[in-house]
Amino acid sequence: MSTDNLDRTLAALADPHRRRVVDLLRDRPRRAGELAEAARISFPAMSRHLKTLRSSGLVEEDRAEFDSRVRIYRLRNEPMTALKAWLEATETMWTRQLVALRTHLKKPKQ
Amino acid sequence: MTSKVYVALRVPANPLRAFEAFTDEIALWWQPGNLFQLTPSGDGRLAFEPGVDGRLLTTLADGEEFEVGRISIWEPGRRLVFTWRPASFTPEQSTEVEVRFEGVGNETRISIEHRAWDTIPQRHAARHGFPEHVTLQRAADWWRASLIMLGNKLGV
Repeated sequence: MSTDNLDRTLAALADPHRRRVVDLLRDRPRRAGELAEAARISFPAMSRHLKTLRSSGLVEEDRAEFDSRVRIYRLRNEPMTALKAWLEATETMWTRQLVALRTHLKKPKQ
Repeated sequence: MTSKVYVALRVPANPLRAFEAFTDEIALWWQPGNLFQLTPSGDGRLAFEPGVDGRLLTTLADGEEFEVGRISIWEPGRRLVFTWRPASFTPEQSTEVEVRFEGVGNETRISIEHRAWDTIPQRHAARHGFPEHVTLQRAADWWRASLIMLGNKLGV
């Protein structure tokens, strides 16, 4: 797994509005206007957030079937998978460390 | 959406001794070779500078020092909170580690909570009078449910 991609994912999610977008897109793909309304921010502000989310690879943009001028945003799974892997690796790391600390504490103090 | 890792384990020591071992003696027990290393040259030899604002430093094989994080809460025998920024992080990225020490009979239950990107927005929300966790946790993670808390398996 690429650490760069994971860093971009974490950076993209370091904002409450962008996390809100990810949550909203988890239900179904949505238009930018819909997202701005649901997140209660302006359309230009939402456009900036969507740009960040797109460049991090968290969301992708599509044209609506009924009207090619309308852009639809949807969630991509890969970055979330990387993030989940980071969480699992971090959990494994701290478990290892705590077990090592316990072993250390069982030895008589020098 | 929020994200944190939580692990807990009971160790044969009182809380003060467990705290001392966790901080003063970290270089004696820390296990290198984790999937995500602290620096491209490995984890190095870790050391805490005691007290609030103290640094968590690592000294690499070539003698170079790298600051992993800074201590924000230092309560010997009770609680330790510090930031955690591997070298791969960008300047605005940070995670936070909270370690708690609770006496259980003659032993201590040590729990570690490693919080990722939800740290800053929670503080922000708290500053604006919103109850912590409420807004962020409402949107529960679909994947978080799948994380098995090792504390359940290994802890008390």
